[in-house]
Amino acid sequence: MMAVAQPKIEKETDDCSLLPLVHDIIKCMDKDSQDVHQELAKLKTKIQEAREQISNMPGIESSPQEQQQQLATLREQVSTKNQLLQKYKGLCMFDVPKAS
Amino acid sequence: MRRSLRELNMATAAEKSTKQRLLSVLDDLEVLSRELIEMLALSRGQKLPTPGEDTQVLELLVQRDKEFQELMGVARQQGKVHHEMQLLEKEVEKRDSDIQQLQKQLKEAEHILATAVYQAKEKLKSIDKARKGSISSEEIIKYAHRISASNAVCAPLNWVPGDPRRPYPTDLEMRSGMLGHMANLPTNGVNGHLPGDALAAGRLPDILTPHYPWQSSDVSVGMLPPHHGNDFGLEPPGHNKENEDDVEAMSTDSSSSSSDSD
Repeated sequence: MMAVAQPKIEKETDDCSLLPLVHDIIKCMDKDSQDVHQELAKLKTKIQEAREQISNMPGIESSPQEQQQQLATLREQVSTKNQLLQKYKGLCMFDVPKAS
Repeated sequence: MRRSLRELNMATAAEKSTKQRLLSVLDDLEVLSRELIEMLALSRGQKLPTPGEDTQVLELLVQRDKEFQELMGVARQQGKVHHEMQLLEKEVEKRDSDIQQLQKQLKEAEHILATAVYQAKEKLKSIDKARKGSISSEEIIKYAHRISASNAVCAPLNWVPGDPRRPYPTDLEMRSGMLGHMANLPTNGVNGHLPGDALAAGRLPDILTPHYPWQSSDVSVGMLPPHHGNDFGLEPPGHNKENEDDVEAMSTDSSSSSSDSD
């Protein structure tokens, strides 16, 4: 499972790397190829797409530490409310006298 | 000094959100890649760049790219945590709703119980009050019989239309009583009497003589009607035994019940 997950994570991180595109541009410049402009456009597009992706990603408005604090608070809230409900539902305040 | 600045930078970087850091690193990547490409382009021309500068830029570019990739990994992780937080928030909302519902039911139960307790206390007060002022049922029944005996609640069995008897003192009876005689006194000119009225003399015609159950059988004509003052007392002086018999007879008469309603 980990072996399958790891390549996927590596692929995801490689997808957001800009170095391959920069490398392609440098190669084209060395060869004096006409594809330089095309590669430059690709780099520009990739940077723009990265910006849009970052804007749409959920949960990154706070730092990881702040997010963990919020998560702990929410878990505590759920636990407290569950306990409260269990307490009230299981509470019997009246002793019903036996019918004589 | 250097350590405190370094700590300040770290603290500042930690306070920044992941989004801000990502955008900042991406801007740096854009600038560095553009600079590198420009330097390489210039190196092909006549002007030579400063030696080592392109290496420095390249190293920075690689470093920034690595940082960008790490931050993207953190951002993805934060996305998963955010999803879990959304689920927890929904659960919190559901629990809040359950608690509110339970609170509403408890309030309702409290109101019902408070009302029941109040009513029970009022009933207990009434019971206690009744016990303090209790009266023997025998006396109440005797009292009821005496009221019934005067035919005030039900006509006599032999009463027919035209019978002058009434369940209240009639005009003739009033005039033939003490009050009527008081009116005859010279000093009392307020309650006069009708001239030539035989009743004023204290005499009643035979047919108009009322016959009350409590009257004894040897009452002669013309005698004044008996004084009614003590008839409704529980223990009247000179209580006639015949009255008791009539009362007992009345008590057996179902028609004398006060429950009759017209």
